Amino acid sequence: MSTAHIRNPNVREVAVTGIGLALPGVATYGDLLGPLPGEGGFDPATELSGRELRHKDRASRLALRAAEFALHDAGLTDADATFTGAADATAVVVSTNLGNVDSICAATDTIARKGVRGLSPLGLPQTSSNVIAGWVAIRYGLRGPNLTVCNGVTSGLDALAWARNLIVAGRAEAAVVVGVEPANDVTAKLLGKQSTDAAVAVVLEPADAAAYPGARPRATITGYARARDLAAALTCAGVAEEESVGLWLGDEVGAGEGQLLTATRRIDLEAQLGPLSGALGVLQCAAAAAHFEGRATGNVLATAGGPHHDAAAVLLLTS
Amino acid sequence: MTWDITGMAAVANIGANPSEIFAALCAGLESRKPLRAFDPDNYRAKYAYEIDDRPEGGGDIPRRATRWLTTVVRQAVANAGLGEDLSQVPVLVGTTMREQRSLELWWRGDAEVGLEDLHFGTALKAAFGASTTYTFANACSATLYALGMATDMIEAGMADTVVVAGTDAATESGFGTLDRVQNDIPDALRPFDATHKGMLMGEGAAAVVVQRTGTPGGGPVHARVRGVSMNCDAHHATAPDPDGITSAVLDAYRRAGVRACDIDLVMLHGSGTPLNDATESSVLRRIFDGAGPGPRMTAIKAMTGHTLGGSGLLSLVMAVLAMKERTVPPVLGLADPIPEAAGLGLVQGSPVSGDLAIAQIDAFGFGGINAVAIVEAAR
Repeated sequence: MSTAHIRNPNVREVAVTGIGLALPGVATYGDLLGPLPGEGGFDPATELSGRELRHKDRASRLALRAAEFALHDAGLTDADATFTGAADATAVVVSTNLGNVDSICAATDTIARKGVRGLSPLGLPQTSSNVIAGWVAIRYGLRGPNLTVCNGVTSGLDALAWARNLIVAGRAEAAVVVGVEPANDVTAKLLGKQSTDAAVAVVLEPADAAAYPGARPRATITGYARARDLAAALTCAGVAEEESVGLWLGDEVGAGEGQLLTATRRIDLEAQLGPLSGALGVLQCAAAAAHFEGRATGNVLATAGGPHHDAAAVLLLTS
Repeated sequence: MTWDITGMAAVANIGANPSEIFAALCAGLESRKPLRAFDPDNYRAKYAYEIDDRPEGGGDIPRRATRWLTTVVRQAVANAGLGEDLSQVPVLVGTTMREQRSLELWWRGDAEVGLEDLHFGTALKAAFGASTTYTFANACSATLYALGMATDMIEAGMADTVVVAGTDAATESGFGTLDRVQNDIPDALRPFDATHKGMLMGEGAAAVVVQRTGTPGGGPVHARVRGVSMNCDAHHATAPDPDGITSAVLDAYRRAGVRACDIDLVMLHGSGTPLNDATESSVLRRIFDGAGPGPRMTAIKAMTGHTLGGSGLLSLVMAVLAMKERTVPPVLGLADPIPEAAGLGLVQGSPVSGDLAIAQIDAFGFGGINAVAIVEAAR
């Protein structure tokens, strides 16, 4: 999917207008420029309880917290945490690869031990991988398109691109994009190492609509592609060789594939925080906002995937 | 704008391609089979609508959903007259369960499965060199969501050709939890019949090639997509909401530029749960009230079971064949429609013939997500 068209002035630009983190060791998105992990941040032991989180799987609870912070940050909720935006035209896009794997595996264990009578009927929603997006929509009454992207390591960047597509196509006036992965025995076994609970949410709105009082556009999504490798993705996304990239968010596996990348500051979030899987791309987007907020120069390039995966994806963000 | 469907493929319990499936729907012979996928002693449900491709002697194998997916994608692109190199063609996959059945087998020690097997891009890269691939876990409206997003891509100039596909294999966690929550276990999926008790899972996959009109190399046009809506009830995690479904239907009409009286055929979601059937029929009764004699309606899950993520696209492929053959297959087992469906043109007993130009396809999923497609016959 080439998005060179997004630089067409006739197409609405889409901006990040709210950011929320539920991530241990990262107190605010400004801390994402490092070093990580830092002091404070989200405490799953104390912050994942409460009446409205009851009977929900861990990934949904993490996502609800991150979405709450992001919507508040965007000024789209009131003092009672009620959504005040255009509910009919607000999309929810969730990126997750491992969100419900703990529920799936626990259910098979229960069936083997006790048969179906051992299962809880309350577990029905999380047998489907879209459970998280459903709960976020229900909590805030968001009736726009509701999408769950489970697309491997590029999933977070892909989710941002699809959220922008929904806005550009006129299907939504705003989107809450959540990248979330819970930490548990099943995810550790799948990832081959321990991970941390991670949820990050961003609110996307058309840049022209983000001019309302109190709106703070933090970054603009300018290009995106998913292609066979990093070099092809950069070309497809319209990232030119002379692009002024001030910050590259990605690992070094793809280094050397693009000459322009060698001169930039690089931050590898997973090297510092551990595996982030479907949360990675959305967290990279939050880090880009931190870069622009610090008035650093140059655009931000977020990359994921590469030779060890089915594709590579790039997202270009500008201030 | 309309979008051409130039390639189609499907596999289900009742056939290995769209023609076989359509013929079986028209023949209307009972298709449920005793549950084989899992140890039947653990479940109250005794039947399912599985694809019977597991090895002899019992036991399950991983990556069946992936195998069906690559099969239907290969057949759909061949049907469209395209080559198997999809390096420049986006592939959008809608699914409820992804490869969660493989995950279950891996967790129970019965198969080797890696993290990269959970999404379908890995297999699509290996089989077709495809990289612009997406796995959307959008429950049972997933493939119509994907179809809508494919039309958005073409309209935005991101692509001229997009493959839309869906696949699902029954999972033990899904089948088991469904078994647990249904009070009265169904022995068959009987949509809109007074005897309906609930949903039983099926297995299957479907794919279509969607192209910008006039794309060079495009094959004969099977049908045209007029518009696809997508929304969310934001109401309940598993129960449908009449307001959300009504909005989805009306938005699809608006996008397609049609009115209720223009619809000749409705492929119902028809999952066979009393709540879905009552909600869907009540909504459609209101929508078609005063719209003339009203469209013919059918529900294929009575024979395919609920094929989950791919079910919307499978319904769409059957709608295209119904328009081509000028024949609507009956709803198997429908003898005594529920009161909410009174006056709807549900096809009972045997196929009916008719001139069909415009079809509506419903797909509703967990999380309250709805998608409705409007498709026009290519004449």
